[in-house]
Amino acid sequence: MASPLSTAFANAGGYGRVLKLQLVALLPVSVAAVFNSGYQYLTALANNPERVGDDVRSRIAAGLGASWEDPGFYDLLAAGLAHFLPLLLLALVIGGFWERVIAGRRQRPAETGYILIALLFTLMLPGAATFFHVVYGMSFALILGKGIFGGDGKTFLNPALLGIALVQVSFPSVSGAHPLWDGLAGYAGSDAIALFHRGGEEALLQAGIDPWSAFIGATTGTLGTTSVLAIMLGAAWLLYQRVISWRLLLAQLLGVAVIATLFNLAAVGSDTHSMPVHWHLLLGAFAFAAVFIACDPVASCCTNPGRWIQGFLIGALVVLIRAANSTHPDAIVPAILLASIAAPLIDHAVIAWNIRNRGQRHV
Amino acid sequence: MSAPVETETRSVKNVALLGRDYRGVSFEMMRAEGDVVQAGEALMRDARRPEIRFAAPAGGRVVDIERGARRKLISIKIEIDADADAVRYAPPHDNEAETLRAFMLESGAWASLRTRPFGNIPHPGAQPAAIFVTALDTQPGAPEPAPLIDSFADEFRAALDLLAGISSAPLYLCLAPGQSQVVGEASNVRPVAFDGGAEAGLPGMHIHKLCPIGFAGGEVWHLGYQEVIALGHLLLRGSVWSQRLIALGGSAVSNPRNLLVPAGAAIDELLRGEVQDKPLRLYAGSAIYGAALASSGEFLAAGQRQITADVDAADARPASATAGVIIPLERLERLAPPGIYAIPLLRALQLGDAERARELGALELVEEDVAPLSHACLSNSNYGQLLREVLDQLEVGR
Repeated sequence: MASPLSTAFANAGGYGRVLKLQLVALLPVSVAAVFNSGYQYLTALANNPERVGDDVRSRIAAGLGASWEDPGFYDLLAAGLAHFLPLLLLALVIGGFWERVIAGRRQRPAETGYILIALLFTLMLPGAATFFHVVYGMSFALILGKGIFGGDGKTFLNPALLGIALVQVSFPSVSGAHPLWDGLAGYAGSDAIALFHRGGEEALLQAGIDPWSAFIGATTGTLGTTSVLAIMLGAAWLLYQRVISWRLLLAQLLGVAVIATLFNLAAVGSDTHSMPVHWHLLLGAFAFAAVFIACDPVASCCTNPGRWIQGFLIGALVVLIRAANSTHPDAIVPAILLASIAAPLIDHAVIAWNIRNRGQRHV
Repeated sequence: MSAPVETETRSVKNVALLGRDYRGVSFEMMRAEGDVVQAGEALMRDARRPEIRFAAPAGGRVVDIERGARRKLISIKIEIDADADAVRYAPPHDNEAETLRAFMLESGAWASLRTRPFGNIPHPGAQPAAIFVTALDTQPGAPEPAPLIDSFADEFRAALDLLAGISSAPLYLCLAPGQSQVVGEASNVRPVAFDGGAEAGLPGMHIHKLCPIGFAGGEVWHLGYQEVIALGHLLLRGSVWSQRLIALGGSAVSNPRNLLVPAGAAIDELLRGEVQDKPLRLYAGSAIYGAALASSGEFLAAGQRQITADVDAADARPASATAGVIIPLERLERLAPPGIYAIPLLRALQLGDAERARELGALELVEEDVAPLSHACLSNSNYGQLLREVLDQLEVGR
């Protein structure tokens, strides 16, 4: 109990304990993120060896000796770390910097919540994000998402989600910035969904995406959101520790299932409407964001009926935006933002209904 | 669980009545320090409602009357004299509600009734919407009530009949599922079984299910099975029942078991030779729902059925002493009292927003109902204390 890390968390009081549980839950996702980034990078390199980038991360990967010819465990690890760690470290530095600044202005001790924000933010970035995007997004996440609401546990939107949303609307063409990542068009793994929208299941199979590879996460997408398997491990841990609400999680799955089925039944030829439920769950960042962003206990409804409503709303909005709006093929960011903004209103209505019932029942 | 007849009986030298067990009472002493008193004799009464009397749990000599700030009574201690006589109370001569209430008031049994909302001693003339007898105990490690009730079946039945007669309200007998029913002859005794976790035995749970209160100004009364037996003992034998069944448990106790001990017994004497020689954390009740006690100088409280003595491990304490922000974790939902939205209520309590807390159901609750939330919430708030502050505000406004 005397490691520097646990000392830092001890100072964080109660929130530090939740933070630790959430970081543990993100461990499998982070490991999957490292290996899949390495795998995607080396695969792209193997297909186009002449397009070796001269950016920092490609040079680190080359310096570590990651080879695209018959890549093994070490090559995947080295290439993955070269692409994942610099982004994460920069996000931590920027987060820590703003935390210090805000804590200094507010004359309160610095909090540790920025560690979780930085990790979530990095995991939702596309591999082609530049260092500037990290600085930009993390600054907004810390200042607009957390600082002005009073700090850890007092936010009403998830700060990491806000940071990603601002990068996404500010730099819609970020994916073109890196020569090797043009398989990853767009944010949050939306390319696979866009692919389905264009050509249906055959297009996915041609791109090498089948349900199994999408489940274990060996597909293109944002850094940490591809492996549904790793996400399920994290979700199981958070449910076991009773951090996140199973109602909210189940309601999101129900929302996706119900609305996607309705679209399938009413499909009028368009592939955007006929995407089956299992592809909705497997592709894009839905699984990741449903567990780690939407179920953030601080920025979601705080009554059980409210959680059912909010979860269903998120699931429904994801399918609705995916089917109806081609500029947001992944849809998870706007869906959760809208539902988070609606959460206090939902809670207000649920509580008003509870108070009315109490008035009718009581003697 | 062993039947009470086989339960080991422990005697102690000192017993006490505790002022904090009777909220809102300003005591008027009827006996002074040094007086010799009989078991069941009135030691004091409520200055504002002089009919309400408080009887000595055992005969002996009043050795100490301890007072705190503003002369508030903390405890009145009696050194037991085993040869002391017991006061005899004549049973009520008819079954009129007034006569029955007068018997309870005179013998001191009235002081074992509690109101909800607020947890006070009811006013002698008040009419409850219902009376609840809690005849099950779901606290982890608590003694099983059924064997004790069975061995005092006559007393229990007689007391139920009396309680059913003091008002026209229904008398709910709350039982564990499958528990044999010792029901009186009165027609308005209604046995109800409750099943579930540790919260299934809380009066707050029963009241919420059967007769929710708080919005329309009504009140209900409740009392525990041992208090019912004590009332029956007064009725049938005329003298005070000076024993209580408790469970001694916790990580520091070498031989956890049930004991029959004097009511109001000194906990230091009960623990002597029972606990490891380590720093202790004591609870009146289970470690989850019970109130924390000082490590020495405490006495068995009214209605207390458990002493939990845990080894005081420093790393089990909260990391920071300041109350922080409430993180709405799922684990809080599971510990919330029934029908209550935990997070909105806890936020209202933390803000001291009495009106909002009332709307969210605070009047259905007392400290024990929110005790597990204080343990599970990461904000380090003592919700029992915050709830009491809110209840005090609401009580003044009534």
